[in-house]
Amino acid sequence: MALDKPIGEYASVKSWDEGLRNHWGGEPLKEDPSMTEALEKFCAFVGEDPDTILGKLFRIRKSDGERVLSVKWRTHYADKIKQFRAQQPGPEGQRQGSAVLSFMIHNGVLIQA
Amino acid sequence: MEFQQVLGIRRSIRYFDPDRQVEPEKLQKILEACRIASCAVNAHWLKAVVVRRADIAPDDLEKMKNPVQANVIALAPVHIYLYGDPGVVNKYKGARLKQLFDYGALNPTHGWSHKFVDETVYPQILKPLTETPVYPVALAFDCGIAACQGLLMAFELGLGACLTAFVQDVVKKYTKVPDEWIPFYSINVGYPLESREAGGQRPRPPFEEQYFLNRYGNAFPRDPKVVKELEESKLFTTPARPDNGERRKEVRDLARRLNLPM
Repeated sequence: MALDKPIGEYASVKSWDEGLRNHWGGEPLKEDPSMTEALEKFCAFVGEDPDTILGKLFRIRKSDGERVLSVKWRTHYADKIKQFRAQQPGPEGQRQGSAVLSFMIHNGVLIQA
Repeated sequence: MEFQQVLGIRRSIRYFDPDRQVEPEKLQKILEACRIASCAVNAHWLKAVVVRRADIAPDDLEKMKNPVQANVIALAPVHIYLYGDPGVVNKYKGARLKQLFDYGALNPTHGWSHKFVDETVYPQILKPLTETPVYPVALAFDCGIAACQGLLMAFELGLGACLTAFVQDVVKKYTKVPDEWIPFYSINVGYPLESREAGGQRPRPPFEEQYFLNRYGNAFPRDPKVVKELEESKLFTTPARPDNGERRKEVRDLARRLNLPM
């Protein structure tokens, strides 16, 4: 699936970029473009754009209207990341999987996989 | 290492050298430290099963991961799974208390006798306690004390350690513990890749909010001279600080080395 706009224009990617800059300093996504490339590959792998992925990871709880993390979708994407990593055994697969995890983490998704 | 230094250097270590094995004698010392811990009624509820990560099938290790401990259990070469055995009180029926009497730890000076244990302590206090909902709380407290001693021993031996929850059903495939044992935590052990300071001593709530003299609300007076002494004895070490560039760099380097997300 091709994204319908440059990956950097998605709100969730802007949020990732901001999180990385605030935490680590510098311009991590600009300094290491392979991170966004990895996310783009992951999007193609699952057939969804970054904002759609993030949208699924949160749901509105009926009882109080709070926006909460969806355990079901977190498990789903954790499994997808493992499959994605396994496509490229070795450090490169690990590195690409970690870039996707970083995207989720800086969007407020507590995830380790 | 001096006792106060050990207390001062303990941190939850989350970055381990995944390939450096922990020597069996060091693991034994950790368990020995657990074994001599203070324990109510000399019951010794804590049980531990040591499992090397290398002996866990990769598929099972994946199933043991949860969103907060996955990296720790994947990096730590050894997992020490901690359980409480609620059956010990009714198994020994006060025998371990009477042992303390025979060895001079409990004495008539404080009201103790075999008769008291046989006629009162076990049948009227301990056995009924095992049937109440607070029993697991009581035994968990004691297991925590023992686990803490093991944790401190790990640091004294130059290791790092981090307590985490564990996924009981998958772990049980390895530990094969009795069904009635209560699962608590895993002490994940290994050689740290982090520096000894690991970013410094973690922030803690103010002393005065936690500890009181005579009654709640009357803060226990904190003497700055004592604080100074504890700094000198290294119970207090370099405090962690927010936005610490050196720590960020250390973590960033570790993330790159271990292929962890940034």
